[in-house]
Amino acid sequence: MKLLKKEFSLCMHPTGYIMLATTLLVLVPGYPYAVSCFYMGLAIFFICLTARENHDASYTLTLPVSREEAVTARVLMCCCLEIVQLVLIGVMILVKNAIGQVPNPAGIDAGVALMGDCLITFAIFNLIFFPMYYRDINKPGKAFVVATVAVFAWIVLSIVGTYTIPFFRDVLDRPDPAYMRDKLLFDLGALALYIGGTALAARKSVRKFEETDLQL
Amino acid sequence: MATDMSAPLYVEGLCKNYPSFRLKEVSFALERGKITGFIGRNGAGKTTTINSVLSLVKPDAGTVLFSGLSDAEHSREIREKIGFVSAGMTYYTRKKLRTITGITKTFYPGWDDSAYRKHMEAFGLDEEKTPAELSNGMKIKYALALALSHGADLLILDEPTSGLDPISREELVEVFLKLRDMGKTVFFSTHITSDLEKCADRILFLQKGEVKADEDLNAFREGYRILECEGEIPAGVKEKARGICRVRDGYTVLLPAAETGTENTREATLEEIMVHLEKEGEDA
Repeated sequence: MKLLKKEFSLCMHPTGYIMLATTLLVLVPGYPYAVSCFYMGLAIFFICLTARENHDASYTLTLPVSREEAVTARVLMCCCLEIVQLVLIGVMILVKNAIGQVPNPAGIDAGVALMGDCLITFAIFNLIFFPMYYRDINKPGKAFVVATVAVFAWIVLSIVGTYTIPFFRDVLDRPDPAYMRDKLLFDLGALALYIGGTALAARKSVRKFEETDLQL
Repeated sequence: MATDMSAPLYVEGLCKNYPSFRLKEVSFALERGKITGFIGRNGAGKTTTINSVLSLVKPDAGTVLFSGLSDAEHSREIREKIGFVSAGMTYYTRKKLRTITGITKTFYPGWDDSAYRKHMEAFGLDEEKTPAELSNGMKIKYALALALSHGADLLILDEPTSGLDPISREELVEVFLKLRDMGKTVFFSTHITSDLEKCADRILFLQKGEVKADEDLNAFREGYRILECEGEIPAGVKEKARGICRVRDGYTVLLPAAETGTENTREATLEEIMVHLEKEGEDA
């Protein structure tokens, strides 16, 4: 908890909060809503970049904490931001449905299935970004570019899927409450992927970081 | 070879290989309550040694013990008792010192708020400022204030006086002497040897990744004499020389005190010894 507090107090970049506002994009008609999750990935990149500029690793590792604890705290802080982003996306979905929505031609509609879509987007980002970043914390840009390519590949797939993949087109992209059981199962699967993927990412990151020589 | 395994810092056979540099079997033990100057030219391996000691880089071989405890098993306890200060490093430049301190102190069960206030006042530091607003000397003092407030007994300082003007360096040297008076052990890496002349008790001299000397400062200095030669170097001197430097009117030659008298020679400064030995290393 102390390290998590340190992450929020000393390492948080303003974009971490600013990018939460991109959840408003869910109110825009005809927009690929999962892109909002990419913006949070961008904020996480800025947090890691600023940490490098502030010599955060050398500060943290001279505290009485282990490398494992340091990695876990950073991943946890990013997960907190992602979860808040997800909750806000949920709120925007409710607002959009309250004011009446038209079908989204650019991907999954703003509904229950969008939550799963976003969870998968975050899972892909975390799974790629963190282990690459902790291989060399001085090069967060490289990890961000690779993670972003993968995230956009998923976003494109989920948009194209609403025209070509039957499960996406005929189930996930249907207005709520149609196929609610299937959509909730999809969300549950996506949640499992997010939790499992992020836990795996954290474990791999710890291993990479413990092997790393810090060039301070 | 280091022998006192209960020393504040005991290092034995420390090795680290990089493609273009090797730290070769570095061994030493610090004396409790003393200032040990860690000297060597840029690239000699001082920072690599310190980073290896602090586990910031993973050594390929060697033993590091802090008061008999290994970092692998007692990392938390060790870090509660050491303070690390590096000149080239400034943490969270846009955060107020108050914020940084507020977070830092939560990690140390032995944090002493009154000691912190005392050190901040003694160093003339304002908690409302950010590191970006502090001079380099003040940044070092702030890092020292943090280390002293969590009860660090061993202070590891990596080039703390680099880039400082002579007055600021003098102030810091006085701080280091006060720390020694408080019973703290100070391990002070620098290539500005004049600072060590004023405060160090012992010298650890690193050359090309190897320990070339580990002894009492006075004994180290008394081990050498300087011969000043106008024009050519006299016959028979070159063979005994431990390094020759060109100066305006001729040469200065570093000679082992045991092999030369005090006539025609004078005391060598720490800088002269280091520079001549480096020259000898280059010529070899």
